Amino acid sequence: MAIRETPGSKVMAPLSAAPAVAGHTGGISARMSKRRTAGSASPDGDARTAFWLMAPALALYGVFTLLPIAATFWLSFNSSAGFNTSASFVGVDNYTKAAHDPIVWKSLVHTFIWLAGHVVMAGGLGLLLALAVSRLRTTQVFFRTAFFLPHLVSLAVVGVIWANIYDPFFGLLNTALTRIGLGAFTKGWLSDPALVLFSVNVASSWQGFGLYMLLFIAGLQNIDRSLYDAVEVDGANAFQKLIYVTLPGLREVMTFVVSLAMINGLKGFATVFVMTNGGPFYQSELITTYIYRLAFQSQDHGLAAVLCILLSLLAIVITIIFNRWRARLSQ
Amino acid sequence: MLKFLARGTALAAMIAASSLAHAETLRMWGPEQITEPLVAQLWNGIKADFEKANPGATVEFMPPTGTISNGAVQAAIQSDAGPDVILTNSGIGRISVVKNAEQIIPLTDQYEKRGWKDKIYPWLYAELKGQFGGEIYEVPDGLDALGIWYHKDLFEQSGWKIPESWSEFETLMKSIEGTGLQPIAIGPRTTGSAGHLFGNLLQSASGKEVIGKALRREIAWDDPSVAAGAIRLQKLVEAGYIKKEMAGLDLDGASRLWFNKRAAMFVAGPWFTANARKAGYDLANAGYAPMPSDIKGAAMPTGGVGWSWLVPVNSKQPELAMKWIDFMLSDAVMKKRAQDPASTMIYPREIPGVEPPTPVLKDIFAAAAGGVGYNPSVYLPGTVLDTYFQVIQGLISGQIGGEEGMKQIQAKMAEAK
Repeated sequence: MAIRETPGSKVMAPLSAAPAVAGHTGGISARMSKRRTAGSASPDGDARTAFWLMAPALALYGVFTLLPIAATFWLSFNSSAGFNTSASFVGVDNYTKAAHDPIVWKSLVHTFIWLAGHVVMAGGLGLLLALAVSRLRTTQVFFRTAFFLPHLVSLAVVGVIWANIYDPFFGLLNTALTRIGLGAFTKGWLSDPALVLFSVNVASSWQGFGLYMLLFIAGLQNIDRSLYDAVEVDGANAFQKLIYVTLPGLREVMTFVVSLAMINGLKGFATVFVMTNGGPFYQSELITTYIYRLAFQSQDHGLAAVLCILLSLLAIVITIIFNRWRARLSQ
Repeated sequence: MLKFLARGTALAAMIAASSLAHAETLRMWGPEQITEPLVAQLWNGIKADFEKANPGATVEFMPPTGTISNGAVQAAIQSDAGPDVILTNSGIGRISVVKNAEQIIPLTDQYEKRGWKDKIYPWLYAELKGQFGGEIYEVPDGLDALGIWYHKDLFEQSGWKIPESWSEFETLMKSIEGTGLQPIAIGPRTTGSAGHLFGNLLQSASGKEVIGKALRREIAWDDPSVAAGAIRLQKLVEAGYIKKEMAGLDLDGASRLWFNKRAAMFVAGPWFTANARKAGYDLANAGYAPMPSDIKGAAMPTGGVGWSWLVPVNSKQPELAMKWIDFMLSDAVMKKRAQDPASTMIYPREIPGVEPPTPVLKDIFAAAAGGVGYNPSVYLPGTVLDTYFQVIQGLISGQIGGEEGMKQIQAKMAEAK
């Protein structure tokens, strides 16, 4: 099987040089090599082919990702009153304006609180329910499905449902509290400045925890049963099994769930938009809702672009910190 | 025979092609309650009349996904697959947002060319002419007149009456609160609803002239003469006449409170008849009165242009859009709409001999006959509106005082171009 070596055939060398297990296998490799030798195979040719194969994806990536990013940067240095107006260059004015806008700082703080709340509430509830559901024998499928169902509901619908639950006069929550004699605990869940962000976050986490629960259940099923047998022999109780076997066994899933919850937390918008629109008096304003209002209601596209960049930077920094922490954890 | 058939087919194809060439579809954004059977019946009738009068034209309704205030109109125009003509909540504040974004075309020449200036109240035309240096971007479809809605039966049973003076009004609210009812329902999560009550309070405390000056920037919003209305709202909240929990309600939530008679009063305009009908509320039981005031002549509804026709810059059928607006301003359509049970507004010109279809509308028309005050929600610049609505929420939730709130509005006014 003499193969004339060409730059192109070198690429296939491992395949061509592999010992032929059967005669026909060797024949295929030889034919492939011959075809490449006879054809236009060359590093340049391969690169060109690869480029054209990737071109559609690259074009889409360029148009729908890179171009908007570039446009956002450009917009952040311009003053634009709306979609069709010609923008004028204002240098770093929008950045200065953002730095001096108290609502930006307020919404930034709220975004961090929201993020932490979502990770703890949705992630935590997902873990607790996964631990509970995975112990069930006959009804596991039912509860797994039931707890996952809210995740299938759109966030906007979730917002409407929970806004009605929180209605101070007719809502399910206050009515139930009053009926069971806990009327003193009724609140203005969406009007109390100290509660509103938490209340909306509960609604958002209710929608999200089902997915995290499923991921944790999958993680629990992958834990080696013999580890439980071993600690049982050592006399470990249920709590010790949780601490020394279950949680370490879930470490990989947990890091994935936390990163997913953080991404979802940063994207928090729909429930806030539907339930409070950032109010009352900016008490549930997130960076995302403020961006929307600036861009589409106040038509201040320059300042909105600055906040988009800020949000992106926030996501990048959080991801870097989290990845480093994860790497250190797995060492 | 075959030849005859072929010629016939060719002729039919030519006719079909020619009619297709003339077929025009006008995509219309609105009206808001098109999904309501009574409203749909009225609008489908108007559409059929228009299509009959304009052979080849088809009108297609696009149920609105929102207003200028929440960016829905802007997004629809920007999509380039949006409407050819728009009916939406208007007023200079909202119109300036889409006008500044260069999303709508000026209609000034059409007012002359088609005689629209004679089809609306002269004072309304003068107001529109004075807004953008002589250019007009909207054609008013309906006017708003915001005042207090109350339950006639409840008031009769309790011997209550909407009084003339503010101090008597406070006494009334105290009396209502004593019965366990909410004196006034408000849903400030819906920004418009927040503005309705607040505008009424500003008008009641300061009068039309002062609020007009503040809107024209001849007087600061934190001037005590303007801030009095905000302080009034602060005091109503402190006294418990407006519950802080109301800050978590939207228009639907607050309306529900009123329709179920757990609240005695509600500030709304003629459009509230549509909400009432939807909720199954007996409109014959609804009473209407302007917000009481100690200033002579200041007890009047607030409002202004409530809904207008706009033509987007990317309208595929601008000429047909003008024909449609022309048609809507015609006597026949105006009368048809004003007499229809689905009617929910005050029309932009006097329509002699037309009786409003519901008693409450009759009350509203009577209250507005002497003119209406300003509803700042529709007059403030778009960049100030967000602060304006958030301040109202802050006042109702007890997070901010009236004076401080008005300072924040004034700061935004100073920034606005």
